[in-house]
Amino acid sequence: MHNSDDVALNTIARDVVNQISVILRTAQIHDPNNVAVSSLIEKLSSMINSLIAMERTITLELRGDFFYINDSRIRYTLEYLLNFDYLAREFKKRVVGGIVFKERTTAAELTTFVRVFNASGGAQRPFETIEENLLDVNSFSIERLRIIVENDTLEPRKMVKKTYFNAVSFTKGVINKIKSGEKVNIRKAKRVVESMVDQVLEQEQWLLGMTAIKDYDEYTYHHSVNVSILSIALGQRLGLNRKMLTELGIVAIFHDIGKMEIPYEVLNKPTNFTDDEWNLVRKHPVWGVKALLKLKKLDDVTIKSAIVSFEHHLNYDISGYPILRKKIELDFFSRIISLADQYDAMTSSRVYSRVPLAPDKALSIMMERANAQLDPLLIKFFINMVGVFPIGTLVMMNTRELGLVYESNQLFGSRPRVMVIIDKEGTRVKGSVVDLIEKNEQGDYLRTIIRTMDPNKYKISLAEYLL
Amino acid sequence: MQAVQGSEDVKKVKDVIQTVLKARKILRMYPENNPIYVNTLEECYNKFRDFFYYQDDLVLTVKQNEIIYHGEQVYYSAEKEDNLAVFFFKDGLREISFKKGLQPEELEAFLKIISLDFNRDVLDDDIVTLFWERDFQKIQYVVDDVVLSDDEDYEERAVAEAKEESAGDDNILKAYEDAFKETEELTDVLIVPLTDKDLQSLLKELDDDNADKTPKLIQILFEMIFLSESAEDFEDLLDFFKNAIEYIAGRGEIHLLVQTQSRLQGIVEDAANADIVRKFARKVMMFAGSEQIIIILGEVLDSGQESEEKIFEDFIKYLDRSAIVPLMKVLGELKSIHARKFVIDALVFLGTKDISLLAKGLTDTRWYVVRNIIYILRKIGDKRAVDYLLKTVRHGDVRVKKEVIRALGELGGGGVLQALRDCLDDTDAQVRSASLKALCNMGSEASKRIILNKVNDKVFKDKEFEEKKEFFEALPRWKDEEIYNFLIATVKQNVFFGRSKNYENRACAAGALGILGRKDALPILQKLRNDGNKLLREAVLLAVKRIMHDAQ
Repeated sequence: MHNSDDVALNTIARDVVNQISVILRTAQIHDPNNVAVSSLIEKLSSMINSLIAMERTITLELRGDFFYINDSRIRYTLEYLLNFDYLAREFKKRVVGGIVFKERTTAAELTTFVRVFNASGGAQRPFETIEENLLDVNSFSIERLRIIVENDTLEPRKMVKKTYFNAVSFTKGVINKIKSGEKVNIRKAKRVVESMVDQVLEQEQWLLGMTAIKDYDEYTYHHSVNVSILSIALGQRLGLNRKMLTELGIVAIFHDIGKMEIPYEVLNKPTNFTDDEWNLVRKHPVWGVKALLKLKKLDDVTIKSAIVSFEHHLNYDISGYPILRKKIELDFFSRIISLADQYDAMTSSRVYSRVPLAPDKALSIMMERANAQLDPLLIKFFINMVGVFPIGTLVMMNTRELGLVYESNQLFGSRPRVMVIIDKEGTRVKGSVVDLIEKNEQGDYLRTIIRTMDPNKYKISLAEYLL
Repeated sequence: MQAVQGSEDVKKVKDVIQTVLKARKILRMYPENNPIYVNTLEECYNKFRDFFYYQDDLVLTVKQNEIIYHGEQVYYSAEKEDNLAVFFFKDGLREISFKKGLQPEELEAFLKIISLDFNRDVLDDDIVTLFWERDFQKIQYVVDDVVLSDDEDYEERAVAEAKEESAGDDNILKAYEDAFKETEELTDVLIVPLTDKDLQSLLKELDDDNADKTPKLIQILFEMIFLSESAEDFEDLLDFFKNAIEYIAGRGEIHLLVQTQSRLQGIVEDAANADIVRKFARKVMMFAGSEQIIIILGEVLDSGQESEEKIFEDFIKYLDRSAIVPLMKVLGELKSIHARKFVIDALVFLGTKDISLLAKGLTDTRWYVVRNIIYILRKIGDKRAVDYLLKTVRHGDVRVKKEVIRALGELGGGGVLQALRDCLDDTDAQVRSASLKALCNMGSEASKRIILNKVNDKVFKDKEFEEKKEFFEALPRWKDEEIYNFLIATVKQNVFFGRSKNYENRACAAGALGILGRKDALPILQKLRNDGNKLLREAVLLAVKRIMHDAQ
C-alpha cells in the first residue's frame, strides 16, 4: 500500500483532472454561469483548495500523454480514460502544458478560466490568448506545453534500445536453454519484462518504434519480444495494472515457444510450406504447452503461458488451430497476444506469408478480420494505440516530402511525427523529424499525409533511421 | 563548518544503516505483533525521521562490498553471507534513495523485502522485482540491467546486422519517383473513437478475466488427450494431468477435481473412444484418488479452508477401494473435527466396498483412529464387521471399548451377546454402563435375560446406587409382563438383613415403574408414598407423578 497521504493526493488529483474535463465539455453546451456548469465549478474549487491545503502549491502538468501532480504521475482507472484523453487533447490543441495553482482559488476565477479556455479553441495563438485573458486571475496561471527537444531525448532512447536488446538477448538465451533442457531463471524473465513495462509506461512510442524494425537476422527472438511489447502497450491502454502487464509480457514472450520444435529448415524455408510442413507448423501451439508445463512447477504465470500458447492461433471464432472437440472461449490474454502476434507477423518478412505488409495495410487487413479472427473490441484499442499510420509507415506528404512515421500521435491519429528522408527538392536527407500537428499562422496544417507506400518494396530499412 | 556537518551526516547515515541491519535480523526472527518487532521498527523509523530533519534525501551508492554516502564509505563487509552490499549488488541495484516524507508503512515494506532469505525461500522474484511491484513513493533505486543480459555485445551486433540491410540511394529515390505515380491513396483505416459502451464491455472483460485460470488449463489438457499421437505424448500428458490435479487439490478446489473426475469417467465409459484414450483416462482417475492427493486434501481440510460437504461427497463418489488406506492414514493426522468429519464420511461411503480393508484400521496404534474406524463400521452397519469388532473388545483404552460395545450392540450377531455379558463385569464402570446400553438397544429376549440375570444376581445389591439405577432404568425397554412383575415384586420386597441396600433396589424399581408408565402400578406405588425410607418415598413420588402425567 502507498502511504495514505500519497493515495489521498492522487485520488483528489485524479478527480480534479476528471472534473476539469467534465466542466470543459459541459461548458461547450451551457454557459459557464448556468447551474449545470456552476455547480461543477463550485465542486472543483473545493477540490483544488483541499489540495492546496495539503501541498501549498499545486502543479498540474501534462507530459506526453500523462498528467502529473507535483511531479507524481496521476494514476487512474479505466472509467476515467475518456475524460483524461479529452483533457489531454484539449490542452495539446491549445499548447497548454499545465496549470499552477499558487493559492486558494475561487469559483469565479475558475469560471473565467473555463470561459477563456473554451473560447480559445479556434484562436491562432491559443496559449497566448488564454494567458492574456487570465491576467486578472491571481490564484493560478497556465504553463506552455513542453516540446521535447530531440537532444534531450538521447539518453531515454538509449535506455529504450538497451531494454529492447536485453529482452531479445534474454529470449534467445531462454529458448536455447529450454532446447538443451537447462533450467530457466524466471526471476530474470520478470526483470526483463518489468523493464519493458516501465518503458511502455514512460516511452511507449519509442519502444513501439523498436518493434517496427524488422531487419534483424534472428527473427524468432525479435518476434517474441515485439509481441510482448505490443501486448504490454495494448494492455496498458486496456487499463491493466503493472503486475498484470508484467504477466502479460512474460506470457507473450513465451507464446511461440512451441516453434523451437519445428525443424529449422522448415521454419526458415524460403518457399511456401507443403501440406506436411503446414501440419508440423500447426502443432506448435500444443508443443508450446508441453514445453511450458515442463519448464517449472505450476503457478499463475505458467498456467497463463500454457493457455496462450495453446490458444494464440485458435482465432476469435475458434476457426483456427488446433481443432477442438469442445468449444472454448478465448482467454483475454490470448486475444491480446494473438492480435499483437498477427500484426508483427504480417509486418515481418519471415512468417508464413513471405511478403511483409506495410503497417497500415496490415491494420487494414486486421480490421477486416475483426469478429472472425480477431476480437472486434480489442482491435479498436489496438488501432487507437498504433495509430492510422503506425511507426515505420512510408508516407508522402502534400509538401512533396517523403518520410517514415517516427512516432504516432495518440490524440490525432492521422498526424504523427515523421522523419523526412527525401526533402521537397527530391534530395535524400536524414534525421529531421517533423510534427504533423504543426500549423502555420493562418491555422492551417504545415504538412498532411497524402499517400502511404510500402517501404519493403523499396527495401527501406527502418534500422537505418530508428536505431 | 560544512565539513563538520558532512562528517555528522556520515555518522548519522552509518547509524541508520546499523539500525536497518538490526531491523533486518529482528524481522526475520519475530512475528509482526511481537513488541521487539514493533519497537525495532519504530527505532528504525525514528533514525530516518531524525536524518530527514536536516536533509531532504539519503542517497546510497551500492558497490560490491560497500555502501557509499556522499563519497564516504558507510558500510563495508567482505563476507560472502549476510552482506548487505552484496545483497543489493547481485541483483543489479546500484543506488538506493530514501526521500523525506518516508512513511513507517513504506519503511516496513522495504525492511520486510530485505529481510527475505532469497537463497532459502522459494521465490520467483528477486529484490528488484519486489521493489518494483511495491511501487514505493519515497524510496527510489537505480538498477544496472547488465545482469539481465546473457550476451553483452548482442545489441551492437544486432544493430550492425540490421543496418547492413539498408537500401541504397537508388531505391529510396525510386520510391520518391513512384510516390508521384502511385495510384494507391491513403489506406482506409480509421481511428474508431472509443465509446462508453466499449469501455463498459472492456470493464466486463477485465472483470471476467479475474477468474481462476486453472479450469481453462484442465480444459486444454482434455483437448490434448485427443491431440496426442504417440505413447510419449500420453506419458507427458499424464505428468501434466498429475501436476494439475496436485495443484488444484493443493488449492482446495475440490469442485474442479470433481469436474475433472466426471469428465474422465465420461471418457472411460464412452466406448467410441480409442482404448489408449480410455486407458489413459483411467490412469488419471486413479491418480486423483491416490494417497498423494488424499494427503494434500487432508492438509487443505485441516487448514480450516471452507469446503462444502456436498462437493466433497461428490469427489468421494469417484474414488475406489484403493483410497481406503490413504484415507485412514490421513484420518490419524488430522487435527480439526471438521476435517475428520469429511474423511469419516468418505470412509463410511467407501468402506462398504471393502470391509476387511477398513477393519485393518482397528489395529492402528492410535486409540482415536481405532475409535473412528469402529464408528465408521457402526455407521456402515454391515454385520461382516462384527468379527473384526469382537477382537477389539479387549482394547486397552476405555474410549475404544465404549465405542466398540456400542457398535456391537447396534450390529448384533453371533458372539456379540457373550462379549457384552462379559463387559457387564468389566472393572470399569463406563464399560459396564456402555455394555448395558448396548444390550438395551438390542432389545432382544436374550439381552433382556442377561440384564435380568445380572439384576437378580446376589452381588447386584452391593453395586453403587447410580449403577443399580441404570440397570433398572434399562428394563422398561421391554414393556412386557415379566419385567412389570419383576419390578412390582422388587418394589414390594422387604428383607430383614441388608435393609438399606434393599431400599436402594426398591427405589430403583419404583423409578423403573415410573418409566414403564403402567397405571395398574399406581395402587401399589400409592401405598408406598408415605414409606419411612426417604429414598424410596421420593422415588415413588416421582414415579407416580410420571405415570399420572403420561396418562393425561
